[in-house]
Amino acid sequence: MKNDLYSLNTTNEIRFSDMRSAYGESLVNLGKKYPNIVCVGGDTTDSLKTKKFGEMFPDRLFNVGIAEANLVSIAAGLAIAEKISFASTYAAFIPGRCLDQIRNAICYPNLDVKIVVSHAGLSVGPDGASHQQIEDISIMRSLPNMRVLVPADAPSVKKLLENIVQIPGPFYVRLARPSTEELYPEETDFEIGKGKVVTDGADLSIFACGTMVSASQKASDTLKKEHGISCRVIDMYSIKPIDTDLIYKCAKETGSLISVEEHNVVGGLGSAISEVTSDICPTFVRKIGIKDKYGESARDEEIDSLLDKYGLSPKEIVRNAVELNKREKK
Amino acid sequence: MESVHFREDDKRLYFINRYLKLKEKIREIRILALTGITEAGSGHPGASFSAAEIMGSLYFQIMNVDISNPRLRQRDYFINSKAHSAPGYYATLSLAGSFPKEEMKTLRKLNSRLQGHPVRYSEYQKHHSVPGIEYSGGSEGIGLSVSIGLCLANRLDKQDNTVYCLLGDGETNEGQVWEASMAASKFKLDNLVAILDRNKIQQDGFTEDIMPIDPIKEKWSSFNWDVVEVNGHKIEQLVPELLNRPPNKPKIIIANTIKGNGIKHMANNPQWHGKAPSKKHLPLLIEELEGEYLISPSIIAGSTGIEEKSLINKIELAEKFGADMIHLDVMDGKFVPNTTFSFDVIKNLRGITKLPFDAHLMIQSPDSYLDSFIDAGCDIITTHSEVCNGEKEFEKMSAKLISNGISPGLAINPATDLPGWIYSHLDDLDVLIIMSVNPGFAGQKFIPEVLPKMKNLIPKLRENGYTGYIEADGGIDQSTIESCFEVGCRIFVMGNAIFGSEDIDKRISETKFKLDSHLEQTLLANSQKLNIREDWIKGRKTILDRYEIKSV
Repeated sequence: MKNDLYSLNTTNEIRFSDMRSAYGESLVNLGKKYPNIVCVGGDTTDSLKTKKFGEMFPDRLFNVGIAEANLVSIAAGLAIAEKISFASTYAAFIPGRCLDQIRNAICYPNLDVKIVVSHAGLSVGPDGASHQQIEDISIMRSLPNMRVLVPADAPSVKKLLENIVQIPGPFYVRLARPSTEELYPEETDFEIGKGKVVTDGADLSIFACGTMVSASQKASDTLKKEHGISCRVIDMYSIKPIDTDLIYKCAKETGSLISVEEHNVVGGLGSAISEVTSDICPTFVRKIGIKDKYGESARDEEIDSLLDKYGLSPKEIVRNAVELNKREKK
Repeated sequence: MESVHFREDDKRLYFINRYLKLKEKIREIRILALTGITEAGSGHPGASFSAAEIMGSLYFQIMNVDISNPRLRQRDYFINSKAHSAPGYYATLSLAGSFPKEEMKTLRKLNSRLQGHPVRYSEYQKHHSVPGIEYSGGSEGIGLSVSIGLCLANRLDKQDNTVYCLLGDGETNEGQVWEASMAASKFKLDNLVAILDRNKIQQDGFTEDIMPIDPIKEKWSSFNWDVVEVNGHKIEQLVPELLNRPPNKPKIIIANTIKGNGIKHMANNPQWHGKAPSKKHLPLLIEELEGEYLISPSIIAGSTGIEEKSLINKIELAEKFGADMIHLDVMDGKFVPNTTFSFDVIKNLRGITKLPFDAHLMIQSPDSYLDSFIDAGCDIITTHSEVCNGEKEFEKMSAKLISNGISPGLAINPATDLPGWIYSHLDDLDVLIIMSVNPGFAGQKFIPEVLPKMKNLIPKLRENGYTGYIEADGGIDQSTIESCFEVGCRIFVMGNAIFGSEDIDKRISETKFKLDSHLEQTLLANSQKLNIREDWIKGRKTILDRYEIKSV
């Protein structure tokens, strides 16, 4: 187990950074290295930070306005002409509005389009439920050929992008809007199809993705200190392909599993894990996520309370873990 | 009236490479598509048939494509956004060398490479696709956006290739088409040519009933596209527009077409949008497709003489009333006693019409003048066997014509036998004129002895693999045309039968009615032989009524 364990940022200082800026910066760096990288944006290039790429390579960023179906299809055309094509806007609009185009024009022909979206999940905040994308993992996961990544912090965004430009075919990369705690030092590697154990433990395994990785770590600290429950926390940044071996191992070693995601409990990370366990190692999987309903607005400073209201705070994770642990003991 | 000369740089735009061969290919597309559809028991014959000329022109005239090297970066791209025209598309690809024709019979079946809707060809999809397919279609409204992506990439890579995108008219109900339309003009994509297959029918009925898209020209113009309108079944109208790219803006060709064009009971009939005809009917349908004919009025006929002004007038009338080509009888006063006009006049006439010029050289030593006739803008040049100094000279002339993109023809007088050496050059012959008068004057009487000659010759030529046209020339009128059609002629030169009266419109339409009803009679008779008479009558009722054929 020790080898799998990841050495986290050990300095006492907690650093926050936003995933979008990491994306914008990476795209510029990758653009220098790969002249065939292009990017299509939809009137959100400022917000997505793809504008930086456009400033560096004015003829390689195409802003198509508020037209997401057109956006992803143009990205497909660029990929047919042997470009590595990034398609970017808010998560609220890409998977839902243009599922058909992603399915038929990108996934079916297996084209090299990297869809990178931001503002996923409840943590969008003030914009409210129309902009809180909570179904995308489920939707994207169900498309053959599509791979789904949900990074937990800015350094992992950078590393994952470096990896995916070297792997042909479609990817969906889901970023959150708020600044998040930096969990990893820059040199960390992230293999597609693997999960990362960020905290070891013996009683329970918590599989989390995106912003919920740091929330799960906080919960794990509390569980250890206040309840004497030793939790293993896993960053499941790669939801498809998923790390089947790791799930199996955790189920065998810790028993019950918990999944935590800023997503509907239907079809997301929890479902993906259950698909594995039900196949090869029947185990309880307690799914923490949005309980099949829509969110609501909250000011930026109220986001923690919003997440708490919808069952996604460290406190909620602790409550679920304790409950599950008791049930296990019975 | 001043005659219009075309500018040197416009010449390319009138140019069709071997017009008659292209017609042949397009006929083959329809036959092959139908073979696939009837075998599959489903598919979209209507959409395949409305787009046959568009796809044929693109693949066999316009596009820089090499099926054996489908990833060539400089290639032109064809994005078939109206992907339900798959059978026609597959047929075109097969004829372009993508896969063996026999494979059409696997269309829409399990384990076939020919899926219901085309799939982009790649190593990953090679079991579900064939070389040459760029785009996976099926969901309408996406292809134009994909084409934009390709155009942007081509521009970035400094490639001067063109992306051709075929759109269905019903497809433009999709909002995404208009997102793409806006974007293409924003990016000033002068490397994009869209073709709208305006057949006016979608699955549930006529487009203007289901979701009106007119005024379609104005819509695209207002989106800042260059818009042109053509008859989508006339390759001489399509080809120049497909070649011509305006600067700084995308172009759309509104191709007015007929859904199901080629099979009369399917034509313009919404019922045949997505229905397959019975396999038992296939032989009759192929016979109908092979019955397609061309009317080639000879403009030396009529009482108005052969002054340039009169010739122009006759060309304009012929075009207006539905002639398919213009027959140009060039006589030199030596090979034949009469003199008409020569290449200089033809050159002057070229600019006034896009109809193909079917030049029939009744002159001595045609070899010495060939360059001038080529330069004048003829599409077909036929020389006489009687003045052809043997096989070598024919070989030389036809090679020259072919390399200049002109359909080579050979003519024989009524008393002349077809030279035996022609059997070794059938691939280099696009049309054979079997004269039914001794050439020299308009208005002569049909020599009936020519019919047995044709009856004897034509099957022999076909057995030897000749796929080109047989042209009937001399005394062709309402009384003689059917028997020439019957023995296999498909181009009809008509002089006084058309220009001999004021009613040119009526003369042409009556001739077509006569030929069409003759074919209809033949098909009905043949349905009896195939034991499908009742079934045939049922499907064909409106057509039988149109030609007043009693089926009971």
